[in-house]
Amino acid sequence: MTDDYLDPTDSVAVPRKTAARPASLDGKVITLLDISKAKGDHLLDRLEALLRERARPKAIVRKRKPTFARPAPDDLRREIVGATDVLVEGLAD
Amino acid sequence: MPAGDTDLDEFFAHGVSDGLPVVPPTRARVSQALEASGRAGSELIAEVPPNYGRATVEKIAVNAVMAGCRPEYVPVVIAAIAAICDPAFDLHGVSATTNAPTPLLVINGPIRGKLGVNCGAGVFGPGWRANATIGRAVRLVCVNLGGARPGIVSMSTFAHPGRYTYCIGEHEEVSPWPSLAVEHGFTPDDSTVAVLAADAPLTVYDQRSRTAPDVLATIAGSLAVVESHKMTHWGDTLVVLGPEHARTIADDGWDKARIRRFLWERLQRPVCELVPGRDGGDGLPEHVLRKFPQPETDTTPIPKFREPDNLKIVVAGGTAGRFSAIVPGWSFARGSRLVLRKIASP
Repeated sequence: MTDDYLDPTDSVAVPRKTAARPASLDGKVITLLDISKAKGDHLLDRLEALLRERARPKAIVRKRKPTFARPAPDDLRREIVGATDVLVEGLAD
Repeated sequence: MPAGDTDLDEFFAHGVSDGLPVVPPTRARVSQALEASGRAGSELIAEVPPNYGRATVEKIAVNAVMAGCRPEYVPVVIAAIAAICDPAFDLHGVSATTNAPTPLLVINGPIRGKLGVNCGAGVFGPGWRANATIGRAVRLVCVNLGGARPGIVSMSTFAHPGRYTYCIGEHEEVSPWPSLAVEHGFTPDDSTVAVLAADAPLTVYDQRSRTAPDVLATIAGSLAVVESHKMTHWGDTLVVLGPEHARTIADDGWDKARIRRFLWERLQRPVCELVPGRDGGDGLPEHVLRKFPQPETDTTPIPKFREPDNLKIVVAGGTAGRFSAIVPGWSFARGSRLVLRKIASP
């Protein structure tokens, strides 16, 4: 074998990274994003109650994707990015 | 990627295989594939969700070579990649869902004969290089350019064997009706590829029916359990009529529109049979249930499929055997839809 092989991947594709985690939730705006799966609201209701019990967030905002089958629409993403410190995306089922 | 003595192992180590050995994409092989495409290697066909790697003609050709494609198959792979990257197909969802879909390719038109695409006996099975390697090339692009690596981005609970390769031709020569492509606005002389976000095929056995309503009643019974027996408002799904079943139906004078209407009407169930917790914990979602004050006794019919046109019909398979097949789509209300693309002549 004398030939080099060509790369089947796209080396310029941006690798995905998770966002930096805050040290505390106190004083933060937390968005709970329901992806519209069955019982997602049950999960996030419980999570909201626990957050209020255990931390002192500035606000807890509830948002909902139109469907779990597709990525969140751009306007919803922009709205969340501009107004929240911490995002929790809820799956459920 | 440097060549080496253990070149096949290298591809596994880099995670760019589907678990089977690949054909090493040497410059010479890729050049041949590019030449057969008749296009510039740098031409961008699509950015492949969910990681949006750039599917240039050259990158597609590299993956096609690895899949074992002959150079002349590359235009089909290019058309299929353009189709799965159409937003209507929702490849982001298809590649990331915990459900099991994968693109099924249905090829129509003269290119089937030119490339030796199997449309007949064993149409979903092995033994045909065009079907095996074109479908496999699409999967490799989903992984290598789209990032759909199992357990990392692709979180399917089960997946299914069609994720290795899933490509059929419509058996137009024995079909009594216009092809899938012609129904979607193409001419019989166009070569096209259709992509459906598809579950595994389910064979429907009916040896004794000799009328259109009898055959279709059996097929409807199998369609009723797509996703689950209580799933409703489902979308694009493929009904693959075996040639013998198709002949029986056509001999009664039925066209595809009448078949669709018959199946759609038969596949409705009253609200009272779809209440969660009755005959299974799943059922109509809350926002639908709220429309019915007394769902436990309400007999309003709810359709299994949103519209008759969601039932896509092709004729395929061998000419012996009274079987058909159902290929469920992954087709929630705002989810994936069937997409067709013309295959460009090089």
